[in-house]
Amino acid sequence: MDRIIDVVHVFMLLLFVGWGIFFVHCLRRYRQKPGHAATYQPVKAKVSKYVEVAVGIFEAILLLVFSMPVWAEYKSSPPPADQRMEVRVVGEQFQWDFHYAGKDGVFGKMDARLITASNPLGLRVDDPADPGADDIVTINEFHMPVGRPMYLRLTSKDVIHSFSIPTMRVKQDVIPGMEIPIWFTAVDGATAEELRRQMTETFPVEKASWYRLRHHVAAIDHMGKDGEVVLAQGADLGPTKADGDEKLEALAKTGVTELTMQPRVPLEVVCAQLCGNSHFKMKALLVTHDQAGFDAWIEEKSNPVEPSFEDF
Amino acid sequence: MSEHGHGPQGRHGHDHHGDEPGFWQKYVFSVDHKVIGIQYTITSLLFLFFGFCLMMIMRWQLAYPNSVVPVIGKYLGGAMASGGVLVGDGYNALGAMHGTIMVFLGIVPLGVGGFGNFVLPLQIGAPDMAFPRLNMASYWVYFLGGVVMLGSFFAPGGAAASGWTSYTPLAVTALSGQTWWLFGMVLLITSSLLGSVNFIVTTVQLRARGLSFFRLPFFVWAQFVTAFLLLLAFPPLEAAGVLQLMDRLAGTSFFMPSGLVVSGVPQTQYSGGGSPLLWQHLFWFLAHPEVYVLILPAMGIVAEVIANNTRKPLWGYKSLVYSVVFLGFMSFVVWAHHMFMTGMGTALSTFFQATTMIISVPSVIILTCLIISLYRASIRYTVPMLFALAFLPMFAIGGLTGLPLGLTASDIHLHDTYYVIGHFHYVVAPGTIFGLFAGIYYWFPKVTGRKMSDLLGKIHFWPSFIFINGIFFPMFFSGMAGVLRRQFDQTEQIHGAAAHGLTVMSSWSAWLLAVAQIPFIFNFFWSIWKGRKVTDNPWEATTLEWSAPSPPPHGNFATVPVVYCGPYEYSVPGQKTDFCPQHVALEA
Repeated sequence: MDRIIDVVHVFMLLLFVGWGIFFVHCLRRYRQKPGHAATYQPVKAKVSKYVEVAVGIFEAILLLVFSMPVWAEYKSSPPPADQRMEVRVVGEQFQWDFHYAGKDGVFGKMDARLITASNPLGLRVDDPADPGADDIVTINEFHMPVGRPMYLRLTSKDVIHSFSIPTMRVKQDVIPGMEIPIWFTAVDGATAEELRRQMTETFPVEKASWYRLRHHVAAIDHMGKDGEVVLAQGADLGPTKADGDEKLEALAKTGVTELTMQPRVPLEVVCAQLCGNSHFKMKALLVTHDQAGFDAWIEEKSNPVEPSFEDF
Repeated sequence: MSEHGHGPQGRHGHDHHGDEPGFWQKYVFSVDHKVIGIQYTITSLLFLFFGFCLMMIMRWQLAYPNSVVPVIGKYLGGAMASGGVLVGDGYNALGAMHGTIMVFLGIVPLGVGGFGNFVLPLQIGAPDMAFPRLNMASYWVYFLGGVVMLGSFFAPGGAAASGWTSYTPLAVTALSGQTWWLFGMVLLITSSLLGSVNFIVTTVQLRARGLSFFRLPFFVWAQFVTAFLLLLAFPPLEAAGVLQLMDRLAGTSFFMPSGLVVSGVPQTQYSGGGSPLLWQHLFWFLAHPEVYVLILPAMGIVAEVIANNTRKPLWGYKSLVYSVVFLGFMSFVVWAHHMFMTGMGTALSTFFQATTMIISVPSVIILTCLIISLYRASIRYTVPMLFALAFLPMFAIGGLTGLPLGLTASDIHLHDTYYVIGHFHYVVAPGTIFGLFAGIYYWFPKVTGRKMSDLLGKIHFWPSFIFINGIFFPMFFSGMAGVLRRQFDQTEQIHGAAAHGLTVMSSWSAWLLAVAQIPFIFNFFWSIWKGRKVTDNPWEATTLEWSAPSPPPHGNFATVPVVYCGPYEYSVPGQKTDFCPQHVALEA
């Protein structure tokens, strides 16, 4: 998918540069001056025909060789039911609800009348005999195993949202009244630790901005001139811009010249379709596990009859 | 001979000598296509400026999230801002209104209502539009639509905030600003429909003797195709707008599915069973042809200006005409490429990808023809020519960046990111708006009898060119980095935070672009009264509008023009001048 973006852009650049060279040449060469008149007869240029045919052929190749196979795989070959991990995802203003079937592997029934802030899907949590009793519902926290095909069933309670994991190139509108399945597999290397390591950056303090670094934490202990720790490993720049500016100023004062930072949570599920005034805040943190870790998480969360969050 | 002198045209002129219209009929409720054209131009330029101002406020929030908006922060009302800091609803309202105003109240009325009205009858040698009263009605319905749109800012909860696309169910459950938006849209579409029939009939019926279809200036062709797009694409959205109004006001459920629960409250007031996707189909069935409604008039202007300033015929005139007609047809079968992310299957997406690739071919032909027209020319670098030349690479960037969006595989990542914003703004801002600027500088002498200042024009052009690229080029990088559009505070997300520097650059470019418009505004008004007086044909052009006096009187032409040749007979070998007007027979 990224390869097609690269290929298309190289092609666009070639065409644009080709046009551009001819364009600039004409602008310089055929400027109006005394003693020079325009030529009435049109040039017999075959080049333009060749260019157009070439553009047509290239577009056909892009379509047939790149885009359609990718899309067909993306849309038409779901992983077999016995291998995939199924999760229901429900969008609502302004949060993502993730619904796991729990240990029994069966999703419980839902009832709109039972919906509360702590039971956003209206599961029958009071009835221990119901298949929904061991279901797990997390809010804005998406747990998934790496290396195993994920099969998500997306729907919305209110307006249209769009389920998007930019890092994984996953995007699908979430539409009320419809359930749309998507599937993908996170590659084995995509653990949080590995991504955090890859996304670690070092730059000068004076170039740092809180806006840029508000989701980052220090990757190492930052020492001042006198050897004291000014920004400890794991610490951030503070919750607001004012805090951040203060922190950065303090860092510069104590003689820290370089910051080495990494994202606190490297993977996010965001909403890509305007869904209201807090659309921009609608995001879930993505927690990746290996299969054993994921099984343990399911085991742990399935046991209580209540959904997994008590802080509401 | 005297018998012939009293033909229909002679009587037409005589009638108007008899009853000189009063002030109101002459300047306000006028039926003269030129006055209506000027009314459209002035009104739409004001709306363009207003829409630009809305965007400048948004750019503050984007560059410096959650800080007090300078200068005007304290005047922003309760639903928009709190303590001078923009709120989410306010930002969304600005976004929705920026889009709506720029498209429906700015560019369409300027390109079609303004330029089309003023120039088209003159270019075809007609005394006026075919239906002058319909023309007046079109302007006043547009004006009313504009007032309703502006009025929506004072609705409880502020103006419409569901994007210019007004996707359901968000738009149906929104506050009352959305109702105002829908009423405004119904009025604006009605206005466009009234205009479009008028343009079609005028072009078909009122061409001067000898002006066959293949002697029409390209501008007329562009307007003609545009009028068909307006006529055929706008009614579905008008119907959809009425359906959404019914959903909001009359309790119907055209776009509302069953079982909605908003903020924990089951929405039992809707009977349900509707489809949110139906709205998207109806909307984009209008909104894709709409793109060509925006760009074609500008393309027409650019073609005129290029032919005039290269002093040679346009290269491949017939290819240009066939391309623009084909473009018009194809624009009706590509709409669902805006909806690849709605869960479209392989068959449907294949069809829409294929049509999308096909529609790029006529655009490439048009661009190639215009560029080859420069070859072996004698280029005059006048101000309109600068804008017209700048249109070419800008439109090329806008068009080319449509390719990765039109292919589903690359669209997955780029959909709803700033890449999209960059793409379509390149088409409509440095593309279309530059074309429209070229038109203003080009036809200003015809409208006023005076020329706009060249020096101020160049001072306007170069900074505008630089800063407008400074706004939109960074957006391609933001988009590829995964920054999503319509985010009140992009730094809330990890991808948005990472690319925040690019956003700051865009914002500063936008504010500087505003500064760069000062020479234009000054030049425009100064030249109306103090500009250098010029002859009827200052650009030594060939098309018919330049054979009329400047400004043209009521009824346009002193004598009815007869056309002898094609529209761009420049530098014809063996002629005394390097231009042969259409109404003058070539010397043998």
